[in-house]
Amino acid sequence: MAVDITVKIGGEAGQGLQTVGDLLCHVCRRAGYFFLAINDYESRVRGGHNFFQVRISDKPVLAPAQQVDLLVDLDGVTYKQHATELKEDAIVLCRPEQNPAQHRTLHLDFTALAKEAGNKAAQNTVAAAACLALLGAGEELCQKVVEQLFGTAEEKLGAINQKALQAGFTSATQSDLKGWDLTWVEQQPAGAFLDGASTLALGAVAAGCRVGAFYPMSPATGIMTQLVQLAEHFPLVVEQAEDELAAINMVTGASFAGCRALTATSGGGFSLMAEGIGLAAMTETPLVLINAQRPGPATGLPTRTGQGDLLFTLHAAQDEFPRFVLAPATVADCFDTMQRAFYLADTYQVPVIVLVDQYLVSTSILVQEKLEVSPIAAPSPPPDPPAKPEGYARFAFTESGVSPRLLPCQSQALVKATGNEHTPDGHSSENRENRRAMVEKRLAKLPAMKQEQRPPLFHHEQADWLLVSWGSSYGIVREAVDKLRAQGLDVGLVHLVDIWPLPQEPLQSLLRERKWLLVEQNATGQLGWMLRAELGVEPQGSIFQYDGRPLEVTRIVNETTAKIGG
Amino acid sequence: MVAIDDYTSNYENQWCPGCGNFGILPAMKMAFVAQNLAPHELLIVSGIGQAGKTPHFLQCNFMHTLHGRALAVASGAKLANHDLNVVVNSGDGDCYGEGGNHFIHAIRRNLDITLLVHNNQIYGLTKGQASPTTDKNMLTSIQSHGVSTRPFRPLAVALSLGAGFVARGFAGQKEQLAGLIQAAMNYKGFSLIDILQPCVTFNHLNTFAWYKQRAVDITTLDHDVHDPQSAMQLAMEWEERIPTGILYQQEEDDFTALNPWLQQGPMLQREYNVNSINAYIDELYQV
Repeated sequence: MAVDITVKIGGEAGQGLQTVGDLLCHVCRRAGYFFLAINDYESRVRGGHNFFQVRISDKPVLAPAQQVDLLVDLDGVTYKQHATELKEDAIVLCRPEQNPAQHRTLHLDFTALAKEAGNKAAQNTVAAAACLALLGAGEELCQKVVEQLFGTAEEKLGAINQKALQAGFTSATQSDLKGWDLTWVEQQPAGAFLDGASTLALGAVAAGCRVGAFYPMSPATGIMTQLVQLAEHFPLVVEQAEDELAAINMVTGASFAGCRALTATSGGGFSLMAEGIGLAAMTETPLVLINAQRPGPATGLPTRTGQGDLLFTLHAAQDEFPRFVLAPATVADCFDTMQRAFYLADTYQVPVIVLVDQYLVSTSILVQEKLEVSPIAAPSPPPDPPAKPEGYARFAFTESGVSPRLLPCQSQALVKATGNEHTPDGHSSENRENRRAMVEKRLAKLPAMKQEQRPPLFHHEQADWLLVSWGSSYGIVREAVDKLRAQGLDVGLVHLVDIWPLPQEPLQSLLRERKWLLVEQNATGQLGWMLRAELGVEPQGSIFQYDGRPLEVTRIVNETTAKIGG
Repeated sequence: MVAIDDYTSNYENQWCPGCGNFGILPAMKMAFVAQNLAPHELLIVSGIGQAGKTPHFLQCNFMHTLHGRALAVASGAKLANHDLNVVVNSGDGDCYGEGGNHFIHAIRRNLDITLLVHNNQIYGLTKGQASPTTDKNMLTSIQSHGVSTRPFRPLAVALSLGAGFVARGFAGQKEQLAGLIQAAMNYKGFSLIDILQPCVTFNHLNTFAWYKQRAVDITTLDHDVHDPQSAMQLAMEWEERIPTGILYQQEEDDFTALNPWLQQGPMLQREYNVNSINAYIDELYQV
């Protein structure tokens, strides 16, 4: 029988939900299972209600599930808040004073058991152990993972957590609850345990990124934290800037001087960076920027997810210039996308914005496919300086619009650049003909840039009805399509990953011929706006979710069914 | 040998006749020549305003950036290649107003950058509004009842942040200024020279004569350049006399010396090594 189990652990910030999650995921991985885990947290350091939710399967997992099999209530409110999500035969783990009458319950005094083990902070390990025991996992395998995460039993932390593990295990196995009878045999993992943030950072390093600058901003901070960790292994300087204005201009300066450089931000931080995007564009300095979207103008919902920045990202900074906007579809795709981002930024000397969101950045998943360093990942050396260095013009007119880019102080040729409109040799100029020619030079890159773009991802694209989505929602919408097809509806998926510039075909023909619904995580259909403007196509309807939470498969299935009839 | 003429630019100079910048530009060239630094060995990063135009008027590698952001761009360039000789040209509005936050944190960061602030106590390019350093009560088109805001004291701010090289120059004292620029560039770490610069068009209060009357060479005073308290006193002097020269100098490890990767050489020189990346990825797939 197919394995598809969702475990949800709710608690306060500071109760170590991430630890419970990591423990569960690591045990799953070593037993050959797949998983997808999401973190739902509030913008606070302590207290509040947060949860970690992991879906475990014997097949690759595309999306979080809406129905929960096993719920752990560490904070006394989790059950109340999530009772409606529970399956009929679900099991609830909660404190003795709680009474979730309608469901099978295992009462556990997490704190007391943890204290007995040596530290009440180990309550998360008690909870994870009880979950694993109910799932049928072997204690020996769990002990190995605890050792991997907390150190050996000879070390203090390791010893406490081994005791906590045992306590949780014993409580669950001594109860008369019948859990799940999964097979837990240690085997070669089916893949790597990765999340969006670490994969984006790894992709940057694979592309030879040497400098990072950022200002902390949820949910982008995790990307730079991962980059800092990679700087322990790879030559990389990561500097915390005083603000986002500094961050983007630092990476532009680093890039001008010849190093690949990365910044990542979100929300208001991205708004601040708009000015700097313009400088990179005007000076034709390669720029790679990750915008991890969060919902709302101003502060909005700092720790939540959304797709509300698409149109802003297409236009951020004044006036017109070419840029790439890439929106990876999956955690694994983050790796490839970052390598392409650096390649494209260098090749066309333009800004490249990688558009992700809180959901993708903080989703942990077992990535089955091997991450492959692309042949385009390695930076190319600058071109040879001209024989007569005094003749060098950084912004020389060329057919492609791309001028040979030398680096400052690396040859006799002087590299002159300015954010003012300028002549080919990099001096400010207000000359009318020159201005026209320079606008055209920069925009001349667009046809070749379009050729670089990946077509949308397709899934049953010959179907009567298509769902059209973009970016991080790929797995979720794809699972919805599979469910709809299983219900007998002829539905397919067209999912955009390379958002801008947008090649007309094959998208235009497809969307003119078929009936389609827009699926987006914003309230106004920004992708629809873009498709209408660029391709002259109109959807037959739309499914928007803008509550700050990840898109839901069941919602897409229900709304699609309602709209197209079934 | 590098000669002054090597720095001659054919690009049309756009400063007003009589502008204090005409004292700063030759002092810069003199300082570069004195170090035998050729134009191709120099990177100038500038902001916006009349000072920001400086690199167009000599020969060098340059990035003429955005209003207030020159220090951030310069810092990035330095992170990428700390072998670069980086000089920043900025103005009082550019550096102490729009770029004030970058000014503060560039000092704290202590990368080996020389910052020249052309401080004419007025906004020139936007035609005569008060800058952060404009004296109180000055009348302008915007501050029509007189400037009511207290002036920014850049040298005192720099000293309070622990800057290791703090100096004041005067556009009317070219030789002294050239010496200061040379000393600042030789200093290993962040160096600031705030340069008194008359604006003949918009600042009729702090004129050439006004500065000249007050400017006093620090070397003629009883001042220990390593004494931060004494430096702070000099930094706060203004109405009666204005000390010019090096107020404070202290050797200290700069950013590069403190970073384990940069200690091994500039990031720009690092080889791309796909094998190490592949090895790291392979491990992710193991138990």
